[in-house]
Amino acid sequence: MIRIEPQAWEEMVAHARATYPNECCGAMLGRVDNGDKIVQLALRLENAYEGEQRNRYEVRPEDLLVAERRARREGLELVGIFHSHPDADAYFSETDLKNSCPWYSFVVLSVKGGEVDHARSFLPNAEQTGAVEEELIYPR
Amino acid sequence: MAKVLIPTPLRQYADKRDSVEIEGRTVGEVLEALTSQYAELRRHLFNDEGKLRNFVNIYVNDEDIRYLAKEATPVEAGDTLSIVPSIAGGRDGF
Repeated sequence: MIRIEPQAWEEMVAHARATYPNECCGAMLGRVDNGDKIVQLALRLENAYEGEQRNRYEVRPEDLLVAERRARREGLELVGIFHSHPDADAYFSETDLKNSCPWYSFVVLSVKGGEVDHARSFLPNAEQTGAVEEELIYPR
Repeated sequence: MAKVLIPTPLRQYADKRDSVEIEGRTVGEVLEALTSQYAELRRHLFNDEGKLRNFVNIYVNDEDIRYLAKEATPVEAGDTLSIVPSIAGGRDGF
């Protein structure tokens, strides 16, 4: 299970709205309690994809390194990555899967007409051949 | 000794440590020593052919080893190695 606290969720929504109609991406920092992830801080990351960003995003590893260092500094943990799907549902696409990493939760925000509609979270496997959905709790 | 920072999800395979001090003259040697000491880490970092998984990037301090000498990149005492995944994606089509 992954639960996103209100302040972090607001930041994720604001980022998804600001980048619409392009995809946004970011890091989710928080803690892990008995296997449950609690997201306390969302960090906006730049979409580094060189090309059409309406249906693609890319996280620069250097930016993730900075996020990881900030997490360590603040006594938090990097628990997940979020990105948006403009004018599409929050599914885990083939592109998402092929460029994923099994270490983190992947939260996808569906943005429709510029507003966040819903979100889901996924846990991809190490071979990048499949992902299972994980329970996601966020403010609604 | 170099310090390897262990990402949160992998700490369970490294005695719950957030960093490990390891001897090695190159990145390859450090990773070999690390995954010998913590055998369970190996399959999370390397594929069945013994190559680093394609989403795994290694940084020595602030430098990505892909732009240095890859796994032959020299490691000095006091260097910090970070394990950082490549992440991308996006909705399919329009």
